[in-house]
Amino acid sequence: MKVFDTRFELTGFLAAAAVLLLLIPGLNAFVPEESAMHVSGFQLSLWGKYVTYAVLAMSLNLLWGYTGLLCLCQSMFFALGGYAFGMYLMLMIGERGAYKSPLPDFMVFLGYQELPVHWVPFYNFWFATGAVLWVPGLAAFIFGFLAFRSRIKGVYFSILTQALTYAVCLLFFRNDFTFGGNNGFTDFKEILGADINAVSTQRWLFVGSVLLMGATYMFISWMLKTKFGKVQQAIRDSENRVRFSGYSTTHYKLLIFVLSAMIAGAAGAFYVPQVGIINPGEMTAAKSLDVVVWVALGGRGTKFGPIIGAVAVNLLKSYATRLYPDSWLIILGLIFILVVLFMPNGLVGLPEQIRGLVRKFRRAPEAGLKEIPVSSEV
Amino acid sequence: MPFTLLAESRPTREILQDLVLAKSSQTQGLLDELSQTGDSFVKEFVDSWRTGEVYLWESGEEKMVLHRVSEAYHRVSTNELVALDMDEIAGLSKARPSRQLRKELKKITDTIDLVSPVESVRIDAARKLGLSGKVEYLPVLEQRFEVEDSKKVRRAIEEVLLVHRLKNSEDPVESLETVKRLGQIRSFLGKESVEDALQRALADDNDELVLACKLSLRSINNRQTLVEQLGNLFRGLSLGSVLLMVSFGLAITFGLMGIINMAHGEFIAIGGYTCYIVQNLFASWFGAQSAAYQWFFIVSLPVSFLVAGVIGLGFEKTFIRFLYRRPLESLLATWGLSMVLQQVYRLVFGAANVQVYTPDFLMGSFEVGGASLSYTRLFVIGFALLIVVATWLLLTKTKLGLYIRAVMQNRQMAASLGIPVSRVNSMTFAFGCGLASLAGAVLSQIGNVGPSMGQAYIVDSFMVVVAGSVGNLLGAGISAMGIGVVDQFLQPTLGPVMGKITVFAVIILFLQWKPGGLFPTKSRSLED
Repeated sequence: MKVFDTRFELTGFLAAAAVLLLLIPGLNAFVPEESAMHVSGFQLSLWGKYVTYAVLAMSLNLLWGYTGLLCLCQSMFFALGGYAFGMYLMLMIGERGAYKSPLPDFMVFLGYQELPVHWVPFYNFWFATGAVLWVPGLAAFIFGFLAFRSRIKGVYFSILTQALTYAVCLLFFRNDFTFGGNNGFTDFKEILGADINAVSTQRWLFVGSVLLMGATYMFISWMLKTKFGKVQQAIRDSENRVRFSGYSTTHYKLLIFVLSAMIAGAAGAFYVPQVGIINPGEMTAAKSLDVVVWVALGGRGTKFGPIIGAVAVNLLKSYATRLYPDSWLIILGLIFILVVLFMPNGLVGLPEQIRGLVRKFRRAPEAGLKEIPVSSEV
Repeated sequence: MPFTLLAESRPTREILQDLVLAKSSQTQGLLDELSQTGDSFVKEFVDSWRTGEVYLWESGEEKMVLHRVSEAYHRVSTNELVALDMDEIAGLSKARPSRQLRKELKKITDTIDLVSPVESVRIDAARKLGLSGKVEYLPVLEQRFEVEDSKKVRRAIEEVLLVHRLKNSEDPVESLETVKRLGQIRSFLGKESVEDALQRALADDNDELVLACKLSLRSINNRQTLVEQLGNLFRGLSLGSVLLMVSFGLAITFGLMGIINMAHGEFIAIGGYTCYIVQNLFASWFGAQSAAYQWFFIVSLPVSFLVAGVIGLGFEKTFIRFLYRRPLESLLATWGLSMVLQQVYRLVFGAANVQVYTPDFLMGSFEVGGASLSYTRLFVIGFALLIVVATWLLLTKTKLGLYIRAVMQNRQMAASLGIPVSRVNSMTFAFGCGLASLAGAVLSQIGNVGPSMGQAYIVDSFMVVVAGSVGNLLGAGISAMGIGVVDQFLQPTLGPVMGKITVFAVIILFLQWKPGGLFPTKSRSLED
């Protein structure tokens, strides 16, 4: 089965892959530091962070853009994945912490005598990697099962997911929850035996993030073409018709919710080693709404929109927080309002929107009869 | 009766003047007279007397006693200001009480609160004297017990006397009586001494006393639990009242227009900041010490309603009206608005919390069976009731209310019958914002006022609206009170965080049972 819609999309995908997988890491590894073409390790992990954000946005788009579920706990799944991988990284610090103890520093600080039982398996890299997927997946399964079973949908679903994020965030802020309280995890030393701050490690992490993004893109493209994907989009457009046609929409929604949580968790796992810190601040409801902004700005329900949105907003954030630290939130808020009001299809849909306006403008004097319907789906 | 005694006796100031002038043989009668006054001025005066702020002045035949207060001389007997020139001041002689007199005066000033005309002052004085453990106060307390006729004060005196007796008692029979009596009056103060007595009784193998101690402790503990529960209920009701005020606005705007207002929390903050501004205006117009200043809070209530209403109306006219019946998009756009508003507050008022003072008439608390209910919280509950009644009247007794209900039930039908739907929408949105702001104004008395003060309540309020069926005011009211009370009952055992999480879990499970909330709207439409 073909994954890509058009030859143009395939070319674009291959070109992007070539730039991100060969050119940028190559410029980092083989071009001398003095050269203007050199990509520094800092830049690599910065862009690596944007790539993981893009994956997070894609996972939300899967829910919101293609299934019509506005989920406000996506950043919680992202952080859960990050925490699961962070536990492995914390244990790999070993006795190099500030207290020279085999226990993570915050545990020594809080007076733990030995490692809590649920931490022990995280010495194993593969267990931690598995946990990155199943912990968010399980959380999504439990909550989704309860929510979809009682047919909570639309804005009620959003409100409840927001409350869930709020509750879990409060939980992670507690010191006695064994996940480091409000300081979270930081000061990592090594990953799979390699120094986590070495440029070569950062290069591999960047390549890994890009591979994850590519795989997610291909997976979503493929899924949209399967019968499953068609049902999924039908649920977005009219859930009741799908239900009356004999499909159990509850099961479809639950599966997509769990899948989306797992993708977000994987993104979180790549985020943590590149940024070097994870704390409960990453899982607030406000962060989840940020992700919604990225998707809305880039283009909801488009394959490429979330990537553009995530990178654009975060690039803008990097510059604006430095240049206009006071008014950055005002800028972001205004973008949000304007996008919702005037750009229902986001940046990706902008050319089409402009073309539509131009056509309308040209035809208006002629007849005035044919109105081009402007789509405004909820 | 202390009040009649006061009325018959001479003014305190005259007694004090006589005391200063009296010879040592005449003092006793005056001291007795003084100890019955219960006037708090006595303390102030005796302090001045000891520290040398009291002077004797002989002008002609008349001997006068002067009291120096912040560089001015007052005549003690009448409290009138006496103007003196430099020579006259030089001619003044300091009056000092004798050693013996000082001792006597100390006893009076220590116990004078016990005869104060204010009941709560007498109770506090009895507790302070009784628990100081000094034997010399016991006769005073006993005397007072005989003449006291306020039940509460008598109880307080009896309680401290019993505690004192139990602590020092060697006689098992007397101990037994005391323990029994402490249990009878359910004395919280006596709990500790009864526990000590229990230890001693266990050591002495005095079975009868052990049993009595255990019984008394049980009845004291029962009462204590009751008082704690009462306190929890009270705090729960006041939290519920706040949630109710906040969620009424949400419920109305959502039910009517399908707008999920994420910026509702920022309208709460408008109320808080309006209080702050009005308070500062009052302070600069009338001065912070004046009586008029106390009215700032009352004035800021309607002002905050109007300010938020006008601002809400502005937002409704500019962009919210484009989002009707598109709940998800309204949620996103109002979230953007909330970000902008929060940052604006930070830029204008600073990131730190601002201080809103409590007016004097809301200071203090009210005691019910040992539980103290603060006036601010009582005010919150009363005010929420007022808002419920006002909203109900608005919805059922006015033309606007009729329109609002019509639009809520069937928008198109209402429009086709000539109801000005868009104007009704504007007014309702403004009303909802005004309610949020009123809640914020009230919150300034029991919480912090800061840029993100609304965020603390907004998640809870959304839960209230969902659990109580969206658009249903009765449901919102019941679920607000329920959530508030459950939250406060869970907090002492589980802590604030786990309490909140449990409440959240309970709501999720409740929605399994009743997916549409408490009072779901009955409709034949599939999509509702």
